[in-house]
Amino acid sequence: MSRPFTLRDPARDNARGMQRASVLVCLVWLGAVSAAGAAPATVAPAAEDGQWTMPGKNYSATRYSGLTQINARNARALHPVWTFSTGVLAGHEGQPLVVGNTMYVVTPWPNVLYAFDLSKEGYPLRWKYRPDVSANALGVACCDAVNRGAFYADGKIIYNLLDGHTVAIDARSGRELWKVAVADMRSGETTTMAPFVVKDRVIVGASGGEFGIYGWLKGLELGTGQMAWMGHNIGPDAGMLIQADTFRPPYGTTPDEGAHSWANDSWKTGGAPVWGWISYDPELDLIYYGTGNAAPYNPEQRAGDNKWSASVLARRPQTGALVWAYQFTPHDSWDYDATGAMVLADLTIGGKAVKALVHFDKNGFAYTLDRATGRVLLAETYVPVNWAKSVDRANGRPVQDASKQTGATQGNVKGICPSLEGGVSPNSPPAYSPRTHLFYTSTNNLCMEYETGHASYTKGTPYIGVNSPYLAGPGGYLGSFIAWDATSGRKIWEDKEPYPTWSGALVTGGDVAFYGTLDGWFKAVDAHTGALLSKFKVGSGVVGNPITWRGPDGKQYVAIYAGVGGDWALLAGDTRSDDPTDVRLPPDFMKDIARHTSQGGLIWVFGL
Amino acid sequence: MRGRAVIATLLGCAALGACARQAAAPAPVTSAAPPAVAYEAHLAAGGIAPPGGTLTNPHAGDAAVAKNGALLFTTMNCDGCHGGGGSGWVGPNLGDGRWRYGGSDAEVFSSIFYGRPKGMPAFGGVLGSEGVWTLVTYLRSLPLPGDLPTESWEQP
Repeated sequence: MSRPFTLRDPARDNARGMQRASVLVCLVWLGAVSAAGAAPATVAPAAEDGQWTMPGKNYSATRYSGLTQINARNARALHPVWTFSTGVLAGHEGQPLVVGNTMYVVTPWPNVLYAFDLSKEGYPLRWKYRPDVSANALGVACCDAVNRGAFYADGKIIYNLLDGHTVAIDARSGRELWKVAVADMRSGETTTMAPFVVKDRVIVGASGGEFGIYGWLKGLELGTGQMAWMGHNIGPDAGMLIQADTFRPPYGTTPDEGAHSWANDSWKTGGAPVWGWISYDPELDLIYYGTGNAAPYNPEQRAGDNKWSASVLARRPQTGALVWAYQFTPHDSWDYDATGAMVLADLTIGGKAVKALVHFDKNGFAYTLDRATGRVLLAETYVPVNWAKSVDRANGRPVQDASKQTGATQGNVKGICPSLEGGVSPNSPPAYSPRTHLFYTSTNNLCMEYETGHASYTKGTPYIGVNSPYLAGPGGYLGSFIAWDATSGRKIWEDKEPYPTWSGALVTGGDVAFYGTLDGWFKAVDAHTGALLSKFKVGSGVVGNPITWRGPDGKQYVAIYAGVGGDWALLAGDTRSDDPTDVRLPPDFMKDIARHTSQGGLIWVFGL
Repeated sequence: MRGRAVIATLLGCAALGACARQAAAPAPVTSAAPPAVAYEAHLAAGGIAPPGGTLTNPHAGDAAVAKNGALLFTTMNCDGCHGGGGSGWVGPNLGDGRWRYGGSDAEVFSSIFYGRPKGMPAFGGVLGSEGVWTLVTYLRSLPLPGDLPTESWEQP
């Protein structure tokens, strides 16, 4: 389906000389905060084209750029060179794309797509695309009107509109090439994730773990948007695109386990949404993605393992056929979505080369899996965890602490770590450097109470049934940015933050890692040591993901969104000022966050 | 004058439709949908209010009904959008004494029964008038917070 679109005149070249504003930048130079523990760089950076064309930078979702111009010696000179207000105040998750000389930015609802000309002074717009997105979506999206970005392929910018549509826009002209309905708001589905393109398939999924959806993943035709396949994440084998002879989960399965592991057919409203990230291994020809929480939050309404919610699934991109699946959190009783990124890296463990998949789960464990089979190689906690003691590598199951089991008959279960915001939010993807061999991720140090009761299902409305206040985790800090060795399951260094840390990570060939904080700082740190190299206050809390590219002038730039939101605009609704009829109190565990940030909606570009 | 007559007719049609739907379910008299609503919080052009009926909460101030409403607020997952105790989530805070679409019982009733733009579903079809009045009674029973407009981090 295609609709006419009136193309605006391309922005005219402003011939004036470059007159960059002189900005007073607050720069802080600190000594090393911890000892370096990284392996020496033995791998030469892959050929780097200097662009950023997909959410995770590459199919492996490493968010690593081989650009080296900005490095630990000169990063202190980083300063803003450009900024632009998106005109939208919801949470600015996701990241821009840079393709050639154009930067593409998708806003939260109403999902405007901006195309900035990076070859001209002031980066004027080449065009903007303003879709007609239903305002009803604002009441179906569980957790703010967020969008996690676009994907560039085949000359198209492809992204999801909150109201359940996927669009393909001509990257050059801004014209709409196709627009298709993929999700049904009447069933509680919205679309917040970034699509993922492999060959001629556009892969999309739907949010709605808080609305009792019947979660799925779809493959669309790249040329037309027409659906080629749909595989459910839960329910009977046929709906999941499971064939008995080709579905080989690492710890075994039984026919229709996705249905039988849910008492009373509760899989029909069992959630398992897809709102995070997808990665792809071209050699194995497998796409990897995580599924969200089981619905409702009262686990007693769905006895059983609830497969394959809170799991990683590996499918064939062309047909959708399910090849393997592994469940991180059986019978999810804590809202532990597994929608965080599945980062693909070739590691050496015990002297052996391993094709690994590394995942920082909401449940507080960081997993290193064999990505050919799904088998657990290693699972260690990266934040304080007490719902489970360990993961049994013989059967892949967590060894749970029974006292942290929640349910309507369990009353108010206190002191569960981590909270349902996760050890890290799935919307804050990690980065992996093939030079330091380390993973970099934001974390949250929060615990929670969990008091659940019977939830009634009304199609298209919330299906939750929990009250879950948060409290600070141990140690007197609420978040951090860490470097992680996925071959040993060890934290190499940790930069503690006063607030939960909610941005994605970026790491570069210059061995600089970047992240943002909830109180609005954008930081560059030494990838080997975590030492702070520079920081700048960007005007609103950061919940988006940094990217880097080489500009038309040959210089390296870094971009980040400012715009507090997602769960954090909601929990810390005190940071809102856009509605005089909606006044919120500060959250108990973080009473002063509104002292440091209010809503925003800004794109920042930094350079040397 | 003509314009006003047309509007009145439209309102009448809408009311008939609503009545017809309601008539299908056995319900007490209070379940009858309103012929129209007079919006206290709206500005009327020229100071002349459009024609409209009056809605009266049959349970106003009834603590037992308010308690039932608190239960209904949770079981119907109202808190899924409006937060526990109506303290606000993706939907606005319902306990701050401030109202986007008017805070009279009749206006709150209309917001729930017919829904509102930007995400509030129409719950009249699921809950009926009695259910909606029960929720209104609960929301009106929420204690209003104290000094809201100013939030200070300075020591006094």
